[in-house]
Amino acid sequence: MQNSNMETIDKIIFGDNQFFGINHMSQEKAQQLAEKFFDIKNIYRVYDTAFEAGIKAVMLNSNDRAKEICNHFRENENKYGDINWYPSIPYPHKYANLVAEKGIFPAINEVLFKDNSAFGVMGMLAKGGTAVLGKDAIKMMKMLIDVEMKMFKGLNVKVVFLQNIITDLILGYGVKEVFEEYCNHIRKKYKAAPGLITQNMPYLVSKLKEWDIKEVVVCSSFNKIGYLMSPNVESYVETAKNNNPTEYQLMAMSTLASGAIPAQEAYNFINQQNIQSVVFGASSKNHIEETVKLINI
Amino acid sequence: MENSKKIKLAIIGAGRMGITHYSIINSHPNVEIESVADPSTLVLTLMKKYLPVKTFKDYNELLEKAKPDAVLVCTPPNLHFQIIEKCAKLGIHVFSEKPFTSKFEAASELNALFSKTKLVNQVGYVNRFNDIFCKTKEFVENGLIGKIIRFKSEMFSCTITKSDEGSGWRASRESGGGAVFEMASHAIDLVNFLVGKPDKITGSSLNHIYSQNVEDAMSSTFLYKNGISGTIYVNWSDPSYRKPTNKIEIFGDGGRIMADQHSLKIFMNKANETYNLCQGWNTLYITDIFKPVPFYVRGNEFTSQLYHFIDCIQNKTATNKCSFQDGANTLEVIDQIFNDYEQNAKF
Repeated sequence: MQNSNMETIDKIIFGDNQFFGINHMSQEKAQQLAEKFFDIKNIYRVYDTAFEAGIKAVMLNSNDRAKEICNHFRENENKYGDINWYPSIPYPHKYANLVAEKGIFPAINEVLFKDNSAFGVMGMLAKGGTAVLGKDAIKMMKMLIDVEMKMFKGLNVKVVFLQNIITDLILGYGVKEVFEEYCNHIRKKYKAAPGLITQNMPYLVSKLKEWDIKEVVVCSSFNKIGYLMSPNVESYVETAKNNNPTEYQLMAMSTLASGAIPAQEAYNFINQQNIQSVVFGASSKNHIEETVKLINI
Repeated sequence: MENSKKIKLAIIGAGRMGITHYSIINSHPNVEIESVADPSTLVLTLMKKYLPVKTFKDYNELLEKAKPDAVLVCTPPNLHFQIIEKCAKLGIHVFSEKPFTSKFEAASELNALFSKTKLVNQVGYVNRFNDIFCKTKEFVENGLIGKIIRFKSEMFSCTITKSDEGSGWRASRESGGGAVFEMASHAIDLVNFLVGKPDKITGSSLNHIYSQNVEDAMSSTFLYKNGISGTIYVNWSDPSYRKPTNKIEIFGDGGRIMADQHSLKIFMNKANETYNLCQGWNTLYITDIFKPVPFYVRGNEFTSQLYHFIDCIQNKTATNKCSFQDGANTLEVIDQIFNDYEQNAKF
C-alpha cells in the first residue's frame, strides 16, 4: 500500500462468535453452539480446519475462555507461529454485569486492582485507586487496555480492536481525544494497528476524518439486508466506495447477517464492495471451505 | 431545525443507563444535551472535562438553573418520585428509567400529576420497542393465535453470580433493588403489553441465591377475570445465560406463539394468508423484520425508545408507547406480588 505506514491486513480473518454462544439472530442457535463448544478441544479442532483451508488470521475477543485459547496457541508455537492475531477488547458482558452490580467506578476498580498486584498498580491502590485515576480518564483507559491485552502477550498481534459497544458509546459522546489516545497507545505499546468495531461505520469514518485520525482499521457489519448497519446499507456502500484504504482499511463482519442471507448471495454483494477484509465465523469444514472460496475482494 | 428550537435536554443520574442514554440521544439532530446532574464528583469531573455540558451535584439546582425542556431520569428508583414531581411542577417532559418508582402509590400520584398536563411522560420498558415483541403484539392483537388462554413470561440473566455483594442501591429493596424491580419488572411489563394487566396475583415465591437483602429469583401466577391465566419466572443469577433474555409464550385457541428479543415462532392451527403464515410452525428472525435506527449503541430498541420520546415532544406521535400509566400498572402488579408473598408464602 502506498504512502501509508499501516500494514495491509489479512483478507480473510477467522472470527470467534460461534465458539462463545453468540448469534444475533437466534438465542436457540446461540445455545446450541455454546453446548457444542463447551469442550474447548472442539474449538481447537475448528481452528485447525480453518488453517487447513488456508486462513492465516484469527480475531478473538478477550473473554474468559480466550485466555485458555491463547495459551494453547502459545504452547504450540511451532504449529501456529505464522498465525496473525486480531484481538478485540474488552469482553463487554463482564463489564456490563460488574457495572450493574457495583456501579461504574467500583467495577473499574475491581478490574484494575483486584488480583492485579503483579501488574504494578499497588501504588495506585494506596493513592485511592480509581478515585485518583478517574480524573485522568486517558490513563485509566490505557490501564484497562493493558489488563485486557495481557492474555495476548507473545502472540503476533496485527490489529487491536475496540468492541463496538465501547466504540459507539464514545462515538455518541463525540470525544476526539479518547479515540486519538486509544490509537496512539495501540501503535506505541503493542506495535499494532488500532482497530475500531462499530455499528455506525459511515458516521465513525466521517468523524475520524474530521478529527484527522488516520491509519485505522474499521470493522463493521456489512450485509445486503442492512442488519446492524446504522443508518442504512446505502450509506455503507457509499462510504466504502469513497474510502481511501491507505487511511482506513475496512473489514466486514456479519456478512451473512447471522445466517439470514445464503452465503453465495451474501458474498456476491460483499465482493462488489470496496472493502479490504472479511471476518467470518463458521464451525463446519464445509462452511469454512465454501466461505473461503466465495470471498473474492 | 434552528439551534434555538432544539430540545434542551438534561440527564439526572449518570450511572450505567444515564451514560448510555447520553450517547444515544446526543445523535438526535433536534436535541441539545445541556446539563447533567450526578452526586459523583468523579463522573462530573470527567463530563466537564470532555463534554460541552453544565454539571450539577444537586438535581434541584439543575432543574432551577438549567431550565431544561425535557429530562431523562436515570437515578436509583427510590429517588425518582421527588425528581419527577418537581419536573411536573416546572412543566418539564420526563423520560424515567424503569421501574419508574419503588412504590405503586408514588407511581399513581405521578401519573395523576402528569395526566393533568400535556407533558410527555415515558418509562423505559425497552422491550416495547423491540421489533420482535412489537410483531408479537401485532399477531396477538390481530387474533392470529385466537383467544388467549395461557401464557408464560420469563427473564434470565447472569447479573448476580457471586455472594460477596451487599453494597450499592441494587442490594436493597427500599432503594429499588432486587430481581423483582430490576428484572421481573420487564417480564411483567411484557405481560401487561401483550396480554393486559392481571386481576389477581397468587402463588408468588421469592428465592435468595447470592444476595442477602433482596431476591435473586421469583415466580408468580397471574389470573384474569376473563379466564386467562399465566405464570412468570425470573432469575438474575443464572450463568447459563450470556446476556439478559426475555422469553414469552402465549397459548390461544388458534395457535401458540413463543418469542424472545431475537426471534419468534408461531404455530398456527390454520394458515393465515394476510400474514403469509402457513399452518403449523412459522419462524421469524429479527433479521427478517428489524427496522434500522439512525444511531446504534446498545440495540435498536434503546435508540427507538429515546427517539420516540423526542417524537412525542415534537408532536409527531400522538400517544406514548410506554407512559407513566404503563409504568404504574407494572408497579401495581409488583406490589401485589410482594404482598402475596408476605401473606401467603411464609411458613
